[in-house]
Amino acid sequence: MIEAQNLSRRYGDFTAVDGISFAVDDHEILGMLGPNGAGKTTTIRMITGFLPPTRGRVTVFGKDLFEAPREARREIGYLPENVALYPEMRVEEYLAYRARLEGMTGGAARQAIGETIERCLLEEVRGQIIGTLSKGYRQRVGLATAILHKPRVLVLDEPTVGLDPKQIIAIRELIRELGRERTLLLSTHILPEVELLCNRVLIIDRGRIVAQGTPQSLRERWVGNPTLRVTVKDAPEGVAEILGALPGVLAVKPSPQSTESGAWVVESERSADVREAVFRAAVERSWVLLELTAQKASLEDIFVRLTTRDLAAAQGVESNEAPPPAPPAIPTEEVVS
Amino acid sequence: MSAVWATFNRELRAYFFSPLAYVVLFFFLVINGFIFAMIVSFLNDPRSPGGPPLALFFGGTLFFWLILLFVGPVLTMRLLSEELKSGSIEVLMTAPVTEGQVVAGKYLASLTFYLFLWLPTLAYAGIIAYWNRVDWGPVAAGYLGILGIGALFLAVGLFASALAKNQLVSAMITFALLIFLFSFGLLENLVTNETAKKVFGYLNLWDHMDELAKGIVDTRRLVYYVSATLFFLFLTSRALEDRKWR
Repeated sequence: MIEAQNLSRRYGDFTAVDGISFAVDDHEILGMLGPNGAGKTTTIRMITGFLPPTRGRVTVFGKDLFEAPREARREIGYLPENVALYPEMRVEEYLAYRARLEGMTGGAARQAIGETIERCLLEEVRGQIIGTLSKGYRQRVGLATAILHKPRVLVLDEPTVGLDPKQIIAIRELIRELGRERTLLLSTHILPEVELLCNRVLIIDRGRIVAQGTPQSLRERWVGNPTLRVTVKDAPEGVAEILGALPGVLAVKPSPQSTESGAWVVESERSADVREAVFRAAVERSWVLLELTAQKASLEDIFVRLTTRDLAAAQGVESNEAPPPAPPAIPTEEVVS
Repeated sequence: MSAVWATFNRELRAYFFSPLAYVVLFFFLVINGFIFAMIVSFLNDPRSPGGPPLALFFGGTLFFWLILLFVGPVLTMRLLSEELKSGSIEVLMTAPVTEGQVVAGKYLASLTFYLFLWLPTLAYAGIIAYWNRVDWGPVAAGYLGILGIGALFLAVGLFASALAKNQLVSAMITFALLIFLFSFGLLENLVTNETAKKVFGYLNLWDHMDELAKGIVDTRRLVYYVSATLFFLFLTSRALEDRKWR
């Protein structure tokens, strides 16, 4: 259980994090999303006790990070964005050093090291010098450091950055497994990762929380109307008009992703499922339907909608769509689990 | 306590795993061996004033000071600068340890390696003792001086290492601070004001070593080394804490 209350952090005149409050419950994986420079790493550093907040406080299982730092830090395992290890040490030796730092001794330490090596699949490299390890193995040693002392809270900052696809799958598997027994806070800018791993998402932009909720609820709240991709072979004149006249259909536009003509994006009312009507309309007129796909809005769309506003403003681009509401006006959603 | 021990242990190993340590050890012994041989042959000359060779060896020559002024920065420049540069300070300081424990562990490791550098010079005393009578009191006092001055120099170096991410910058800061500390005593001869002369006289490291090498142990000197060392270690720990606020 982590609770952050009204966290703010300034660097000189620059406010990196501006009044963030959230909680991560036991056995929950919370994903923190945000563009580069949004304040994710600063937030994480305050939560792990590396940086003191300018304002606000953090408690871990009720222990305040700055009033009882040692007790609170003992509960936290931390994998920083940039995994820095001591390159001249051997893997096992490094873990033994970390165990000692965490106050573990003798048999308990040996057992924890053995278990962690097994769990993080480090068997083959346990005697190898860290400086000679590949990035993937180094990341695993970093993760091993984080879970070595069996913390109840795990904080992982961009855990899969720089890994190859196979390693990413392995690390994700491990993270999912770890999340079952712990409180886990994960920062990332890889959106599919959040959908794959997290029960709940925080979207951070310019030091504030702009949205939060389950991936599902975010989708419902932030995504526009459902859309269908429809492709008709050798489309005759008037397909768009006919589709547009179907009950429940709001708009029909040529598909932007398709090079072939005859592909449309059909936007419908939220409650309506127009697939059947489209099918029947096609059969009645003997169109050959090549594609009929319900497009699932991804978190990516939401993320882009919520965080690109300042980029557009900076470039002086006027968007045709109504601009998304300013951060404070956005109703944030509470835990939906 | 286990955090101090863990840090100490890791840092001491790091010394022995780094080529720098062996380079320092090598030249340290070459230069000291050369000076010792010079001193012995000088004292063997009938025209020399004579006296115990080790008294000259301990601080009697400028070499002694040059070596110390060089060894201080080199042994300490890596200690914190490297952690700051690589970012390993982040996982270190988020472990349940205090700044003080980290500073203590690293400091003790550098002091241990420093004493290890001096260990082979015991052989010089052994060589003299084989041919001649050695008065062990002044020898012990000389090593006490080496410990005291080294302790202070390394504390200054560790402090500088907490200030800079770049090892070379940290070494340069240390070097400048040590020159400053060292030349305080030499200012004694450059001032006419009685009080100033006295103050600088008290801080004259060269005089301190001379006294100790003759076997005069003045507790005021020891108090100076111990308190100045603790002061710089305190500054180091504050400098580490301060980094978080910037």
